[in-house]
Amino acid sequence: MGLGILCLLLTFFLDSQPLHVRFWTNFLQNTVFFTGIAFITLFIYAAFITSWAGWYTQFKRVMEAMTMFLVPGLVLLLVVIAGLWLGWHELYHWASAEEVAKDQVLLGKSGFLNKGWYTLGTLVIVGIWIFFAMRLRSLSLAEDQNGGVDFAHHRKMRIFAAAFLPVAGFSSAAIIWQWTMSIDAHWYSTLYAWYTGASWFIAANATLILLLIYLKSKGYYQGVNEEHLQDLGKYLFAISIFWTYLWFSQYMLIWYANIGEETTYFQTRMHDYPVLFYGNLVMNFILPFFILMRNDTKRKYGTLVFVCVLVILGHWVDFFQMIKPGALDTAIHAAGAHGGETISGAGGHGDHGAFHMGFTIPGLLDLGAMLGFAALFIFVVFSRLEKVALEPTNDPYMAESVHHHV
Amino acid sequence: MDTAQKEVLFGLYDDEEVLLDAVRKAKGDHLEIMDVFTPFPVHGLDPALGLEESRLHIAGFIYGAIGTLFAFGFMTWVFTRDWPIIFGGKPYWSVPAFIPITFELTVLFSAIGMTVTFFTICGMWPGVNNPTLDDRITDDKFCIAFNTNGQSKTEVDRLKSFFKETGASEVNTKVI
Amino acid sequence: MSAVVSPIREPLIEGGKSYHQISEDLCSPTERTPSLAWVAAFMVAVTFLALYVFCVTWTIWQGIGTWNLNRTIGWGWDITNFVWWIGIGHAGTLISAILLLFRQRWRTGVNRAAEAMTIFAVMCAGQFPLIHMGRLWLGFFIFPYPNTRGPLWVNFNSPLLWDVFAISTYFTVSLLFWYSGLVPDLATIRDRSKGMRRKIYSFFAFGWTGRAKHWQRFESLALVLAGLSTPLVLSVHTIVSFDFATSVIPGWHTTIFPPYFVAGAVFSGFAMVQTLMVMTRKVLKLEQYITLNHIDSMNKIILVTGTIVGVAYLTELFIAWYSGYIYEQFAFYNRVMGPYFWSYIGMMGCNVISPQLFWSKKIRRSLFWTFFMSIFVNIGMWFERFVIIATTLARDYLPSSWSYYVPTWVEIGLFLGTLGLFFTLFLIFVRVAPVVAVAEVKQILKVAGDQYAGKHSHQPSAHSETHH
Repeated sequence: MGLGILCLLLTFFLDSQPLHVRFWTNFLQNTVFFTGIAFITLFIYAAFITSWAGWYTQFKRVMEAMTMFLVPGLVLLLVVIAGLWLGWHELYHWASAEEVAKDQVLLGKSGFLNKGWYTLGTLVIVGIWIFFAMRLRSLSLAEDQNGGVDFAHHRKMRIFAAAFLPVAGFSSAAIIWQWTMSIDAHWYSTLYAWYTGASWFIAANATLILLLIYLKSKGYYQGVNEEHLQDLGKYLFAISIFWTYLWFSQYMLIWYANIGEETTYFQTRMHDYPVLFYGNLVMNFILPFFILMRNDTKRKYGTLVFVCVLVILGHWVDFFQMIKPGALDTAIHAAGAHGGETISGAGGHGDHGAFHMGFTIPGLLDLGAMLGFAALFIFVVFSRLEKVALEPTNDPYMAESVHHHV
Repeated sequence: MDTAQKEVLFGLYDDEEVLLDAVRKAKGDHLEIMDVFTPFPVHGLDPALGLEESRLHIAGFIYGAIGTLFAFGFMTWVFTRDWPIIFGGKPYWSVPAFIPITFELTVLFSAIGMTVTFFTICGMWPGVNNPTLDDRITDDKFCIAFNTNGQSKTEVDRLKSFFKETGASEVNTKVI
Repeated sequence: MSAVVSPIREPLIEGGKSYHQISEDLCSPTERTPSLAWVAAFMVAVTFLALYVFCVTWTIWQGIGTWNLNRTIGWGWDITNFVWWIGIGHAGTLISAILLLFRQRWRTGVNRAAEAMTIFAVMCAGQFPLIHMGRLWLGFFIFPYPNTRGPLWVNFNSPLLWDVFAISTYFTVSLLFWYSGLVPDLATIRDRSKGMRRKIYSFFAFGWTGRAKHWQRFESLALVLAGLSTPLVLSVHTIVSFDFATSVIPGWHTTIFPPYFVAGAVFSGFAMVQTLMVMTRKVLKLEQYITLNHIDSMNKIILVTGTIVGVAYLTELFIAWYSGYIYEQFAFYNRVMGPYFWSYIGMMGCNVISPQLFWSKKIRRSLFWTFFMSIFVNIGMWFERFVIIATTLARDYLPSSWSYYVPTWVEIGLFLGTLGLFFTLFLIFVRVAPVVAVAEVKQILKVAGDQYAGKHSHQPSAHSETHH
């Protein structure tokens, strides 16, 4: 798997555009996407603990292992940060001092959109996430060893989980603004952070289902049955609708009020990136909605795997369309400013409907990059998982989880 | 339910688990249960009785779909054919603005349709007085009822001994 | 039921109840003569209801001029009250529907009362847009019916019309959900009563017998209605938020409004449930069904939603600065530092800061604090709507039209009057129907009764003990 990543990244590097826009946007997109999956898994885990859910207990180790991707995620983000300081990429419009100086709007935002805050914010916030992930995991593992009838470990986990929820609420919003919303540096939307969070949620949920089905096929987790999967499928269904609700709220309000500063975001995407714009809705709402509406589809492995792969791809495309248009614009600007070579794909703004691999539609290389990151993610999860007992022993909810009925 | 008078032999149980065992035994003994009455939905009773899954939710889906089509179609007709109005510089056929009402009517049609269907197929309406076997069935008794119309004494005795064996606390007859 | 229950879970039904005892405890409040406390409360509520009727009559007779709305501030207490009541009307459906999805068993203790509360709150909310029209007798204009004016249809593209559909749908579906759930419990009361009383309850119990097939359909209906209600409850406050957010008024037009309104609605709804439940459990002696665990869980939801609302407030403030748009920045400066700064403090203090006290388990389980805080949150959420509506309108683009607004006695009377309407309906409800869902409580007895769950539970072999 590791080899796969290396190959893909290398090929990719050689093939990329001047300024490596395609490479860096892919790098950022996948980093944010998979780190977000790890983060939101931690959030879901904390929410389960706080709400005394119980039924997930059998496979909580998988969730814990997923949160461990936060560590490599931070490393990957450090690469983005290094690039920011050393000028390896032109991902962010606000990162260029000359651009900011002649731009009133960016100047106003420079108190928040600057390299210092970006670095500090990423380090502190992801650091806090890692702290909570480590803490919950180690408490959970310690419970296996010496958990008693007073459930001291579990009670302690409850405290950490409850404390994490508001921390996660505030910090994720702040960092999403930095990571992705600031790519379209002029544009803003108050809903953006929650929308992104919902997108992560579905991707994490689907990843969890896929991992469980895979592990089951390898003979592990025989106690996890259709009942658990149906519940996870129900979440997938419900959160997909919730995501659509957020998508619609954001889109409709901007469409309705029709203020130029805001509509530009959707204008660009609808007219220059139609495949992404409509594909996003088809993959993340229409198909999962109609497939998961029936009860039995959530209990059949085949359909469930299909839907999970579909929505992971769908939400990956969602991040693709969040990042690419803005970054491409910035790159065109930067190329113009440096008097450098023209960027292929830049002409796309003149002729509507022309497709440019890697920007208006994901090409093989972009999918390859995604597979590479996914492989890294899976590698991290399995390497964390193989070191521990797959099923917890002293968790007070274990028996409930084994006897779970919908 | 058919209107003809029925002679019913019924046993009352005190606990749903005892009832479930009794139902399973009755199925095993090929006794034809007329009905089971309980104070609350008992988990596992439907498969024990061999009841088919309710198709009410499918009806709900159909009603909902009718609501969707009706709402969307109607607004489309009004704003593209009957009386087009420009508002806020938007096109006549402005789909995003139709979605809230379409959604509401989908839910409304589905909910009303399902509830009406539910009460109708259960034979329940305001003022309807379906005969009950025992007043305590809505309190704390779990009841298995057999139709003994035209059954011989040995058959009835067999049912009575069934009740005794399975732990019914009371056995009664009633004509409904 | 032989469900496995974790030893760490606390029981939700106390007092070692049997099925019969549950029917007895939950149905008897409708059977005995009302207590003095109930009579006193009812008289107060009816007095306020009378005030309401008077103020509505006054408004309609004299005209909207009896209110202090002006050209700048066209929406004042009326719409504030409307949004506040609608928000309160969200908890019932949330408890029944969303907590079902999250498998929270504790919802059975409070869902029936919360659903009733929902219906009454929506009834109160619905009053305001109607009165606010001024010419109430033309209220039917809001419905799309073939008319002699063309027919000129209502504007289906207007968020105000979406409101009409959203609220009437919500009211209808909540009513169906609540009533269909109530039918088996009404049958329980029917079978306990005699004479005239039995005739009346027979009428309302629809001839329920408790057949296995009917229960199966009943559960299927409840599940689908819950599934429909979940997005519905989201849509209602979302559409209310669209009333503001589709505009181009700074402070109103912001994309976070839909989910943030929903979170606020849940927040205030739970606060109102707490206010009612703390009183109801005391007066009707239902402490063993609405336990401290229920109160604790609801306080946790108040804490969570209060914090979500807090995230939204700060997001709005931050993005206002971030937008770099002076009108947006001014709108928020005005909220915090303008002439209505006190309402912003009230909102922040009651909604975000004070609920943080609920981090303490002791406070979460204290009835005094719960009651006190629930009132606080109700006030805070009222302020939130006032901040959004009146504060924003008072300072628009044109400084020459800036204004300040204080309500008249009529507007205050209308607000207090709807409280009277709400409590009158609720007090009648506790007299005629079981406040706690009887069948549902029986259904969870064997997993949540204190003889089966928690520290003091007996071994499973002790099942037979429950019978008399």
